[in-house]
Amino acid sequence: MNLPVEEIRELVGREVAYTAPEPLGRAALRYFALAVGDDNPLYTDAGHARAHGYRDVVAPPTLICETNQYAGLPMDADGYAGHSWHLDVPGARLVRGGNDYTFHQPVHPDDVITATWRIESAEEKAGKLFVISRATYTNQRGELLAVNEETLIYVEIP
Amino acid sequence: MKAGDEVPALERTIGAADMIAYAGATWDWHRLHHDAAYLRARGLDRPVVDGQLFGALLAEQVQDWLGPDARLRRLRFRLLSMVFAGESVRVTGVVTGVEGPLVTVEQKVLVADRVAAGGTAQAVLP
Repeated sequence: MNLPVEEIRELVGREVAYTAPEPLGRAALRYFALAVGDDNPLYTDAGHARAHGYRDVVAPPTLICETNQYAGLPMDADGYAGHSWHLDVPGARLVRGGNDYTFHQPVHPDDVITATWRIESAEEKAGKLFVISRATYTNQRGELLAVNEETLIYVEIP
Repeated sequence: MKAGDEVPALERTIGAADMIAYAGATWDWHRLHHDAAYLRARGLDRPVVDGQLFGALLAEQVQDWLGPDARLRRLRFRLLSMVFAGESVRVTGVVTGVEGPLVTVEQKVLVADRVAAGGTAQAVLP
């Protein structure tokens, strides 16, 4: 195993936060719902949402974990404009290991989102390097909205 | 509702326009999802559907089935194989647990018989 496990392990605890320059907005909810083909009126009809216990339209639950809207980052050479740790793991390719979303509170159009990303752990298992990266999403009142735990797997290129 | 109950399947064909819409809606314009030259250089002949989209479909299936008073609490999912532009996916689900108001559903995203993603959703009933 030539993967730089120790070097990556030293990064555990590293944290970076992004705060959106504006509220999420009603159009972002409607655009996402339209793009994924979800016609649930909870996302577009405030009266319907209120009738089911919300104070306004809500975001489709996974929107907050899927969007890069809050990041304000420039597009990189691959066209990607979201958070990345840019971990340098020579001789390895990155495989996405999956996501674990926990939804704590509904997300509304007036929420100004802060996403705080943290490297939670780095460990070697079966010749692969597993890095857990966690995003915690809060709003302008410091209310916890959701958590997104992402597993990044670095596999040695033979 | 009990363990073993099937959740109605959700079917979707993901065309190029859908993928462009999703890229815009999520502020993610990665070339893997649209750039022919970029894909060719990596040995791929068609754009790859952004796997994050399946999270939205898994959530939609459970929310549609349980209705507007249910609240999705947790969604775990893993991508198992790539899905390409123009392919049709079928999201299936089976209830694996009911504890008080908490319902757990095991889900799959299938392209014909190929498993593209697997997930577990948990929702709370009113």
